[in-house]
Amino acid sequence: MQHDLHTSLARREFLTSQVMGLGGLAATWLLAQDGYAADPVKPMLERPTFDLTPKLPHVEPSARAMISIFTSGGPSQIDLFDPKPEVDKRNDTEYTGELKLGSNMAARNSRKLLGSKWKFRRYGESGIEMSELLPHIGSVADDITLIRSMQTFNSAHPTAMRAINSGRPRSGRPSLGSWITYALGTENQNLPSFVVLTAEDGLPLDRELNWSNGFIPSIYQGTVIRSREPRILDLNAPLHLRGPAQREWLTFLNQFNREHLKQHPGENDLEARIASYELAARMQVAAKEALDISSESVATKKLYGLDQEETREFGSRCLIARRLVERGVRFVQLHNAYQQWDHHAGIHKRLPEMCRKTDQPSAALVKDLKSRGLLDTTLVHWGGEMGRLPIIEMQKPIGRDHNPYGFSMWLAGGGVKGGHIHGETDELGFKAIHDHVTHFDYHATLLHLFGLDHREVLFERSTRQERLTDGQPAKIVNGILKNPVA
Amino acid sequence: MRVFNFNMPCCILLVVVFVGLVPAGADAEVKRTFEADVRPIFKSHCFHCHGEESKTEGNLDVRLARFLVSGGDSGPAIVSGKSGTSFLIERLESGEMPPGEKTLSATELRVIKEWIDQGARTARPEPANADQLEFTEEERTFWSLQPVVAPPVPKVKAAERVRTPVDAFVLERLERKGLSFSPDADKRTLIRRAYFDLLGLPPSPEDVDEFLADEGPDAWSRLLDQLLASEHYGERWARHWLDVAGYADSDGYSEKDRVRESAYKYRDYVIRSFNADKPFDQFLVEQLAGDELVRRPYHDLSEADKDRLTATGFLRNGPDGTSDRSVNQDIARNEVIADTINIVSSSLLGLSVGCARCHNHRFDPITHVDYHRMRAIFEPAFDWKNWRSPEERRLSLWSDAQRQLSEEISAELKQASNERQAQIKRHLTEALEIGIAKLPADVQAKADIIRDAVLNRTRKNRTPEQIAILKKYFALDVYIGTLSQLYPDRYQKELKEYNKRVAKIKARRPKEDFVRTLSEIPGKVPVTYLFRRGSHTQPAEEVLPGGLSVFTRGDQPVVPANNPKLETTGRRLAYAKHLTNGAHPLTGRVLVNRIWMHHFGRGIVATPSDFGSQGDRPTHPELLDWLADYFVANGWRLKKFHKLLMMSTVYRQESVRTEALDEVDPDNQLLGRTNLRRLDAETIRDSVLTVSGNLNATHYGPPMQVTANGVGQVVIGTPKNDREGRVIELKGNAAFRRSIYVQARRTLKLDMLKAFDSPTMTPNCEQRNSSTVAGQSLLFMNNVELLSQSEIFAARVVQDVGDDPSAQLRRAWRLAIASEPTAEQMEHNLAFLSIQKKLAAQKARELTPEEAKKISFAKHPEKQALAIFCQFLLSNNAFLYVD
Repeated sequence: MQHDLHTSLARREFLTSQVMGLGGLAATWLLAQDGYAADPVKPMLERPTFDLTPKLPHVEPSARAMISIFTSGGPSQIDLFDPKPEVDKRNDTEYTGELKLGSNMAARNSRKLLGSKWKFRRYGESGIEMSELLPHIGSVADDITLIRSMQTFNSAHPTAMRAINSGRPRSGRPSLGSWITYALGTENQNLPSFVVLTAEDGLPLDRELNWSNGFIPSIYQGTVIRSREPRILDLNAPLHLRGPAQREWLTFLNQFNREHLKQHPGENDLEARIASYELAARMQVAAKEALDISSESVATKKLYGLDQEETREFGSRCLIARRLVERGVRFVQLHNAYQQWDHHAGIHKRLPEMCRKTDQPSAALVKDLKSRGLLDTTLVHWGGEMGRLPIIEMQKPIGRDHNPYGFSMWLAGGGVKGGHIHGETDELGFKAIHDHVTHFDYHATLLHLFGLDHREVLFERSTRQERLTDGQPAKIVNGILKNPVA
Repeated sequence: MRVFNFNMPCCILLVVVFVGLVPAGADAEVKRTFEADVRPIFKSHCFHCHGEESKTEGNLDVRLARFLVSGGDSGPAIVSGKSGTSFLIERLESGEMPPGEKTLSATELRVIKEWIDQGARTARPEPANADQLEFTEEERTFWSLQPVVAPPVPKVKAAERVRTPVDAFVLERLERKGLSFSPDADKRTLIRRAYFDLLGLPPSPEDVDEFLADEGPDAWSRLLDQLLASEHYGERWARHWLDVAGYADSDGYSEKDRVRESAYKYRDYVIRSFNADKPFDQFLVEQLAGDELVRRPYHDLSEADKDRLTATGFLRNGPDGTSDRSVNQDIARNEVIADTINIVSSSLLGLSVGCARCHNHRFDPITHVDYHRMRAIFEPAFDWKNWRSPEERRLSLWSDAQRQLSEEISAELKQASNERQAQIKRHLTEALEIGIAKLPADVQAKADIIRDAVLNRTRKNRTPEQIAILKKYFALDVYIGTLSQLYPDRYQKELKEYNKRVAKIKARRPKEDFVRTLSEIPGKVPVTYLFRRGSHTQPAEEVLPGGLSVFTRGDQPVVPANNPKLETTGRRLAYAKHLTNGAHPLTGRVLVNRIWMHHFGRGIVATPSDFGSQGDRPTHPELLDWLADYFVANGWRLKKFHKLLMMSTVYRQESVRTEALDEVDPDNQLLGRTNLRRLDAETIRDSVLTVSGNLNATHYGPPMQVTANGVGQVVIGTPKNDREGRVIELKGNAAFRRSIYVQARRTLKLDMLKAFDSPTMTPNCEQRNSSTVAGQSLLFMNNVELLSQSEIFAARVVQDVGDDPSAQLRRAWRLAIASEPTAEQMEHNLAFLSIQKKLAAQKARELTPEEAKKISFAKHPEKQALAIFCQFLLSNNAFLYVD
């Protein structure tokens, strides 16, 4: 537990000290055996142990926690965040520019441009233009950075989702939340460090892969908090154990395990197991408290839209997200059900529906965090894995196909600028032309906000070292930072 | 165009973080040479652009020391003896080189400067050109690449503790540090250790009693023989192999994660092989080239031949996205080959050959060409340009007789169907003629046209005239539905007869059984090209098959391109024989190291899949070689090898840490005691089932399906495929088989197993994690399945020993943790039981009738209390850990 292995630096110190501590045993042998002295020596002395105690980042961080509203499916940036008057003007005329169609429905695409059905307005003092569908997010325009030049290069949902949520399009890699909790631990040992808030009506595409720990230890996997009770599986004691029965049980177990430990003095793993029961018991209380939104004021509930049918479910989850980061949870991600932002067809009906469900609660989260002084240290993310094309895919009911070459998402708090627009797409909104931000740029920036160098956050596997950015040419997006890197 | 952001495994970006571990004081005395000190740094950072690629940047080749002196476009790179005026140092210190984000560490820079200042020495004269120096002497003499030579068994002081040569090797190291072995563990500890190690299951109380009562000097030996003979042994040890072989019951790669219906046959083959103690060399040859040992055509196969073909499933274990048409096929196909190479090299060679896919390995002597030589061994079977989908690669196990029978049955079915159609047509004609007879004469004249329309044509194919007539006289347009209305009784009778007839014929059809194999198509041999940057879109020169070139110095190729005695190329067979010839430096070492790891908790080399320069060095190199030699010399027999290890004093030690040991060897590298270990995922689930008396010990066969329910829990069962995502959970005995029979979907892991770090197959699992998290504790506290097993456990205890609480507690202890409570513990346990009973009775009184229905033991506080006690026994550290 005492070995802090999350960075190469720490690991290096650990190994150095251990080599010395062993009287140079490994080193001596190695030197003799290999016949050369400056060989890259890597004696793994003990399988490393992993824990969630808070870790120091490499440099002073601006973000302490993150809430990601992951809008999977591909919200239409051209209808929400990235106005294209030229497309509106040329509505229903032939599109002649460059085009890459990626979905398996590519064949049904027309070449007709489709202007936005909705008007754009300038919001806030900064005057960021956003759709009339998002009046509430508009009301926090001065607190957000809107990135209009996102790229994930993957036209299929699962690969694009993995790219933006785990660094690479292939499955089996740790998700964002896993990397961040691996690197930084968590500040509240009574709650899970990485929480996933799933929707009432189902799981996203790729299900639990979205919060998988991949090849790093399972303590870094996301803990699902469900949209309804029981919010955490196995959290509550069943009826027959509830109350004194379970307390007695835990006490008895604890006594037994401590006796057992006496016969195995110094075994860290046994001590950790005893501690994990204690944590579980504390979590039963702490999580219950954290998830109980009934104590929130009427005004707060109203802010999140809990008083309205349409916004209640999503609003409750946003409110819970705030309560969790307030209590020291490191990373919270909200998911919508299967592909609800994927509007190949019926966009004129379904897009406004999704906006009505999510607009007010998303904005409430920013406002609420701000009023509590938490926004400065909490990074809020709103975005999906791709956007949509400027052309008509389906005529009846009308819709748009995937576009991973130039889509929008926004960030707020945690050290990013407010009232700021970053990047630009071409005049017809097909792809980013300025200040491109790839998924790996986004990840490098994210880690930077947490005070971490993406090159240094690494996990040792027996055959290679792994990183979130995985050797991709990631750059920190300086333009969106309140304190740009010198 | 679909854009797939394809990742090249890009090892170029690995950094050497461990340079500089050598104490600084030692450095000053070190005489730096190019080969030993400087070249490895350049190799990992610079060779790619300055030497290896066809275009040499700045005309500076840094692969030889004298090239640095002569320099490139910018003049000499170094001035011997003067690092201060060396251009190379200037470029490195300014951070201009290497380009990009990578920079050399301070230590690396210091080493290079020291080397220059000391006169830029080389260890030996350099060759005429850099290409000749593919590997330096330092690389060639790397420990793991040297032939295995069994060292003499060392002499030790405490000779009385030596039971096997293994002990002598371990004890000699301990004694050098003034240490010795810990005492032997007691018999209860030993039997539990042996059961978990060999079977992955706990011993029953009767097993323990028998062993305790056996005071013969060979009791331990006989116990081991008995366990090695159990069918459960294969299930336990197959699991270890399946991890590193990347076994899964689904394709992975894309979101489809298609289920591999017959993958389990490979799993069963592995279990059977372990149980039969098949010599490991044979086991490996079958897995790499079983198809080349079987005569074509693959008809009427003997069981042994079926096994050989099934064994090649090893090469089909990796993720395979090629049945998902929505992914880029060329990329997916080449990824299958790359993943297979990764599995073969990490499991058998213990080297990260995959790092040489795009360029020469940065740390180990594995060239870019070597990678493709290895690819050429497997390419004829995979043949990415003439790809066969997983479906097409299936091999039917029908015998010729079965196949013929099946064809006959198809013919019979066709016949029955024809007769039925004729019968229907007769009836339709009959009905139609009745109608035609009633038509007006002018229309009757067109009777043939009407007959043609109704009896011979589909509605779409009718002429306008036919359509017009039948629109008017629509009653004439008889069809099968008309018949069922006109003559319901006759129709129903005939239909029944027909269905009965068909069912009868179909019942005789043998069930077609498939197996997943890898084989070549005779005569179809694709050319293997070197792929620049690992990309199939950049083929360069042709490459012939072969092993790692560091082992071959102009000798005969170990893998001929073609074996004229075989119909197929024989490349895999030759390679398999090469790996198992007993002289290969890696195969034996890597295998015995893995077996050691599973017995002792850590390998002699702690990185079981990396025996290269970035991996760990062996803690007991002589022992490793002695074991590798022993294993091969004794016919590659695993059971004998287990026995060798388990008979040793090393294995039989206590696990208790002592101050003396901890002071010198806190991590127990020297093995002065046994390592305490948490049970792995499968063993926890299997043990719970065994203790509760529920384990269904059926061996082999299709897996129990897993599915995610509406809330994302993964349970044993099948999905209902409804919108709510409900599932049909498999209940009872059928769901209580050992965990190796739980379907291993790449994207879905059974919650109970996932919680305890079951393997993630990407593409295989080289070594498992062992986590300790609160979620596991919550599972033991509140999980429905675990609680249900506790109740069944309690019921079993009552059945075994009746109502006496002391007897119950004793029995439960013996079942769960193979031990007896002391008098004091018994007192505590009884007190706990009585508190729980009181609380249960109290709660029962407070329950509403509704609630009472939900609690199975509401009316029986004593049963409830016992179940809670049993739950404790399944959750404590004495149960979860083995020492």
